[in-house]
Amino acid sequence: MIDLYELHPNTRRILDCLVTAGSVLICLLLLPTRLPGMELLSVNPNWLLIWVVAWSVKRTMFQGALAGLTLGFIQDGMTSPSPTHALGLAIVGLLTARIQKQRYIKEDFISIALIVFGMAVLAETVTAIQFSLGTVGAEAEGGQRTLSEIWIYHQQIALSSAILSSLWAPVLYYPLSRWWEQIQISEQAQT
Amino acid sequence: MYTLRRWWDRNGIRLGLIVAAIACSWAIRQTQGAAIFELYQFLTRPFANLAIPSEPTKDVLTQELQQRLAELESQNRQLRELVGYTAEQPNEGIVAPVIGRSPDHWWQQIILGRGSQDGIRVGAIAANGGIVGRVTEVTAHSSRVLLISDPTSQVGVTITRSRFMGYVRGQGANRVIMEFFDKVPDVRPGDVVTTSSISRRFQPGLPIGIVESVNLNKSPAPEAVVELSAPISHLEWVMVYPLPQAAADPTNLSAEDEPQESNALSQPSGSQSDNSDSQSRGEGF
Repeated sequence: MIDLYELHPNTRRILDCLVTAGSVLICLLLLPTRLPGMELLSVNPNWLLIWVVAWSVKRTMFQGALAGLTLGFIQDGMTSPSPTHALGLAIVGLLTARIQKQRYIKEDFISIALIVFGMAVLAETVTAIQFSLGTVGAEAEGGQRTLSEIWIYHQQIALSSAILSSLWAPVLYYPLSRWWEQIQISEQAQT
Repeated sequence: MYTLRRWWDRNGIRLGLIVAAIACSWAIRQTQGAAIFELYQFLTRPFANLAIPSEPTKDVLTQELQQRLAELESQNRQLRELVGYTAEQPNEGIVAPVIGRSPDHWWQQIILGRGSQDGIRVGAIAANGGIVGRVTEVTAHSSRVLLISDPTSQVGVTITRSRFMGYVRGQGANRVIMEFFDKVPDVRPGDVVTTSSISRRFQPGLPIGIVESVNLNKSPAPEAVVELSAPISHLEWVMVYPLPQAAADPTNLSAEDEPQESNALSQPSGSQSDNSDSQSRGEGF
């Protein structure tokens, strides 16, 4: 194990960036997989959402929204850019940072799971609303979902995605929050 | 000047990181995540069975039926040539392993472990016992297929027994809804559904599925639930066929297929194949 205290500040910063980017990359690579046990009604945990929540919990609203925006753009590229995922994830980052968990809620897995549950429902709702606005804008155009289809589908996936994401959230949250905590402590120790 | 410099010393790196992160994510968005899918394909290569599935265990009856089918197909081709029907070349398919599913639940997509290096192009058709979908994105070693069960993919189809036409749209599961152009179509459960000759993105005659139930009272047009013959939810590999001539037009590459209304349902379908402009649909009679 590397001793973080002994590293040069710049080395440590680069290491921090690498770990953060690496964790995002792992999330992205997990998205298209369907591992047995990770699937419920052919829905996967929303790894990017878990990452955004883990990132935003102890950060400012601006940082949370920025992380959501960035990951949302990446997910747009991997699926389809309209409607965008960036909006939903940015709102998730913003709200998670706004909750200011450390002030009101005790830090444990249950509260993280609860936040992820709520945010997953929220993110799917934002997507569904975007789809609904799309149907109003472009009536009569072929290849569109109808309003009833969107909202029935929304019920199904919002619930299964929320359950799965909240169950898998600690897997991602625990190591990441530990890492960021260590980095912060070692940075404060040096200044 | 000094305050600016101090601000820069404190926040410069952070600002740089923010700009870099946004630039990276935008680049990934613009390239349709090509780098990620390439990496994904590379990492999953040891797990994907790239080998062509060994000759599936055929019993004697299947073998006999296949031979008779081949015979009938070749006869059909000869007869079509005799009546001056434009001959289509039977094209070779590429076997591609399915290495991933859609990265989001709102879209029904699969990711294949073969890409442009293996000859797959945007617009190619993926099939496995029946149509699976259309290739919408290609990177060097992977490609993304929009499944036929996605709500945004529409295909013009025909009931093989009675030649009544309609189009199917996805329902997100292993079933699609077929809407008829006619008010009173002759259709019953068990009928075979294939792509129709008015579909611009798919070759005519490709199997789609079997009618499961019919609802003739549905407004504005009668509907039938079609069970797809391809096992969409647990695909392991698909055959990818090069795109048909009509779909080579780059303006046709959006997700939906525009079928057209057809009144002459019983006449030979060949007479409509060149008439590809879509008309209004769904009015019935």
